[in-house]
Amino acid sequence: MTQTIIWTIAILTLLGVVLAVVLYLVAKKFKVEEDPRIDEVEKVLPGANCGGCGHAGCRAFAQSCVEAPNLDNNFCPVGGNDVMQKVASVLGLEVAAKEPMVAVVRCNGTCEMRPRTNEYGGYNSCRVKAALYSGDTGCAFGCLGCGDCVAACQFGAISMDPATGLPVVDEEKCTACGACVKACPKSIIELRNKGRRNMRVFVSCVNKDKGAVARKACSAACIGCGKCAKVCPFDAITVENNLAYIDFAKCKLCKKCVAECPTGAIHAVNFPVVNKPAAPAAPVQAAVPAKEAQPADQPKAKEE
Amino acid sequence: MDKLLVSPSPHLHAKTSTTSLMRDVVIAMLPAVVVSVLFYGWSELLIFGVSVASCVLLEYLITKYLLKRPCTVGDWSAAVTGVLLALNLPATTPWWVVLIGAIVAIGVAKMTFGGIGQNLFNPAIAGRVFLLISFPTYMTDWTRPQGFIGNGLDAMTGATPLGMVKEGGISAVADLDYLDMLFHNIGGSAGELSALAILAGFVYLLVRRVIKPYITLSILATVAIFSGIFWAVNPAEYTGPLFNLLTGGILLGSVFMATDYVTSPMSNLGGVIFGVGIGVLTMLIRYFGAYPEGVSFAILIMNSMVPLINKWCHSRKYGRA
Amino acid sequence: MMKTFSIGGIHPADSKISKDCRIEVLPLPSKVFISMAQHLGAPAVPVVKAGDKVKAGQVIAEPAGFISAYVHSSVSGTVKSVGPRKDIAGNNMVHVEIDVEGDEWADGIDLSDKLVTEIPEDVKAILEKIKLNGVVGLGGATFPAHVKLCPPPGKKAECLILNGAECEPYLTSDYRIMLERSREIVVGAAIMKHVLGGCRTVIGIEENKPEAIRVMSEAVAELQKSAKGYEGISVMSLKKKYPQGGEKQLIDAVMGRQVKSMGLPIDVGAVVQNVATSLAVYEAVQKNMPLVTNVLTVTGDCLPADRQHNYKFRIGMPLSYVAEYAGGVPEQAAKIISGGPMMGKAIANPDAATVKGSSSLLYLTAAQTVRQAESACIRCGKCADACPMGLEPFLLNKYARNGMMDELEENAVQDCIECGCCLYSCPANIPLLDIIRIAKGDVIRIIRGRAAQKK
Repeated sequence: MTQTIIWTIAILTLLGVVLAVVLYLVAKKFKVEEDPRIDEVEKVLPGANCGGCGHAGCRAFAQSCVEAPNLDNNFCPVGGNDVMQKVASVLGLEVAAKEPMVAVVRCNGTCEMRPRTNEYGGYNSCRVKAALYSGDTGCAFGCLGCGDCVAACQFGAISMDPATGLPVVDEEKCTACGACVKACPKSIIELRNKGRRNMRVFVSCVNKDKGAVARKACSAACIGCGKCAKVCPFDAITVENNLAYIDFAKCKLCKKCVAECPTGAIHAVNFPVVNKPAAPAAPVQAAVPAKEAQPADQPKAKEE
Repeated sequence: MDKLLVSPSPHLHAKTSTTSLMRDVVIAMLPAVVVSVLFYGWSELLIFGVSVASCVLLEYLITKYLLKRPCTVGDWSAAVTGVLLALNLPATTPWWVVLIGAIVAIGVAKMTFGGIGQNLFNPAIAGRVFLLISFPTYMTDWTRPQGFIGNGLDAMTGATPLGMVKEGGISAVADLDYLDMLFHNIGGSAGELSALAILAGFVYLLVRRVIKPYITLSILATVAIFSGIFWAVNPAEYTGPLFNLLTGGILLGSVFMATDYVTSPMSNLGGVIFGVGIGVLTMLIRYFGAYPEGVSFAILIMNSMVPLINKWCHSRKYGRA
Repeated sequence: MMKTFSIGGIHPADSKISKDCRIEVLPLPSKVFISMAQHLGAPAVPVVKAGDKVKAGQVIAEPAGFISAYVHSSVSGTVKSVGPRKDIAGNNMVHVEIDVEGDEWADGIDLSDKLVTEIPEDVKAILEKIKLNGVVGLGGATFPAHVKLCPPPGKKAECLILNGAECEPYLTSDYRIMLERSREIVVGAAIMKHVLGGCRTVIGIEENKPEAIRVMSEAVAELQKSAKGYEGISVMSLKKKYPQGGEKQLIDAVMGRQVKSMGLPIDVGAVVQNVATSLAVYEAVQKNMPLVTNVLTVTGDCLPADRQHNYKFRIGMPLSYVAEYAGGVPEQAAKIISGGPMMGKAIANPDAATVKGSSSLLYLTAAQTVRQAESACIRCGKCADACPMGLEPFLLNKYARNGMMDELEENAVQDCIECGCCLYSCPANIPLLDIIRIAKGDVIRIIRGRAAQKK
């Protein structure tokens, strides 16, 4: 009996040692030589593997950063400037700060504004629906409401509002990775400059139909009347194909266009209710989240 | 309807649904159920009742309270498992053993894998094998209880033909009447009673296009050929093809259990490989194993091969010959 | 043994309710809207402008590329506008709007119904006529006919297959023209046969249309006796099985050959044309009549027997006009389909205009067409059994939902013909085709991209 036990222990130990040696040799032989800086860069990345940078994951991004001569073509939208600074310091490179961005849904065709004209009965996917037809409202450009963007978002930053049937972006969670922009078959979602104190002015419509047609389909549509472009003191607005577009690089947030728009298609968000740019915004509304109180033009990197 | 419906083609759908398919399987099992109740009486009826009720109830409770998903008992799949489990048990099984079998079948073999469509092993067989290992005395008690008809028949009591062979060698079954076995007189689990009742179910399933014949026929052919070879070489030692086809759970297993959609290969070729595997394993266990019967084990073992078989066997594609 | 294709297929009820309704001619509406995208390929470019007077049969748009087609006015009158209008899917497409004034036809069009059986000798002239008269395939894909009739260099047509299968349930327009215009169809077939160099010609008809088989056979026999150039034409009875009329399936059934993946029928020596296309070829070549009319079926189980119709319509008539003339949309109709119930398009915009390829207004009730909720795949394999291309839709569905492009290509998602057999037969109501169709598009783009890179 004892002998059996001893033999068992001996054989198993021997087997273990032999296999360990084999494993070691194999690992040694097939070791892939890699730049150690890739590991270092990967460490400072967010590690979400979202693909927002255009690479397959964080490691692929790190590799790309290490191999590239500079960081001009590589940007981690999730980590933002802070992470890129860290990457730059690891690699000893310079990096220019980028304006923080956020995903913006450019459709305001809520159930009331944009009445249904038919009922969709296929698979609940915007891509499938868009491939089939123009959608279940009179507007052939607007949101299809199946939530492909919600499914595409790795950060839980988009949700469908059941009341409006439109997606809502949680600005706190949005990392501007651009996954939703790619997922939207109607190209409604756009990455826009986050703006001073998160204040933004944008045209919440992508309808290129003629004014009357657009308005018939949706009472909140941009009808391409061009009033906004005329009133804009900064030449930030262009009207093309019956649709106005505000260049966020030129927009100075004066909101003149918002007042002028006859259909309310131009939205201004996160502006304090009392329109005094210098006044502290926080006390005005309790409901407005703390971000309004942040004084910086560059909000802190979201790490929570 | 005030608004037009728009959806991608096709705009029509066949009448078959998961529910209708499962219901057809239950209907196909009815002859076997009726025969077993007629011959085994009230106790058999109780087994069916307990088995089906507990399977359905368990699935309901698990989907509703544990998984918090839409309930799937409406698709009849739990009922199929219940009937199948009961058909796999001796007529004398106590009700609480049946209940344990149902818990293993639905709770462990089906729902832990994610419910219908996800399970790797056939739930009813998993339940039966669990019981066979855990309660061997109950599971091999082949006493025939008082039935509604047929009590005066020259029935074999106390052992199945396969068990008799295991115990007493081939001479123990020398005077078996195959015609009797075809109709109603096979000792064993409830579902093994009448070969004809099961074949009736097989025909029904084929006619209703619920199953394709490949799996069943390849199992039966393999068993026949395998045993035929051994029998031809040494008839004194090994039982013959007819005996092996008609005794034990080979018919029940090949018609109702091996053909379970979820746990069998999807292609025809895969089905044949699967069937041959089951046939060979069954015969190996019968001839050389410790158990007199091996269909359940064979099916379980081959169930685990299904993902591999599916990976290897694909259907013939147009223009890629 | 009756011929059929060798893999998969399904047997939906054929529901040819309107098969005994003779073709009636729809009266002219006050306005027509003629779409510039009535064919596969680039939309045609309009050559008329608002205020122009046009005659029926006059060219109003020219092809915008090799794969494109001429478009003609179907009525006489004044062009009211040229601009975007919504098609049946609700998407904008350029339409020419014409106010109908009288019914005057352009010069050189033979409006008599005298049968011209003599086949012109000059192949080039025939092809030019087919092209100039805007003939496109009327079997569903509306592929420009003249392109198909010119095999690329090095390839030779061995068999012209005329598709009279009409395997889609409900549709009866092909059946009616086979009964009422049988001789014209045979002449059209002989013309195409001549263009292709005199190959064997088979008219394939499903067995559930014995009357059509008889009438077409008689027409072939009669013309073979009375005129030259009709040898080698035969009628073949095919088994009733969907999708018998699929191009690849028909080639398999008739010739016993299979087109390679991503290949063309001509690779195996086959050219397939619909019987309605053959009629259009006859009209174009023998009568110089452009393709401005076609036959459509108005049908559905929710229509009483006296409201089932087969109409000869002029292209550009709004669908709502046709529906109105036929007695209005029935109360129980939940979905209107243009085309068959298996591959047709659900109409999102009933005001859309008819096009060359319009083949039906099919009314389906909610009970018939509303999809049941999706449940878990039970791995029954019915989709794989049904797929006429031998694909495994359950597998493609899983790969597609996980974005596994390499596996999708390996498992031949690009071969899908979108016949709908998988979704039709799935007991778990999984929207297989919805998902596979998108994946197919993605994979084909990848394959094309790779091929373009190689060059």
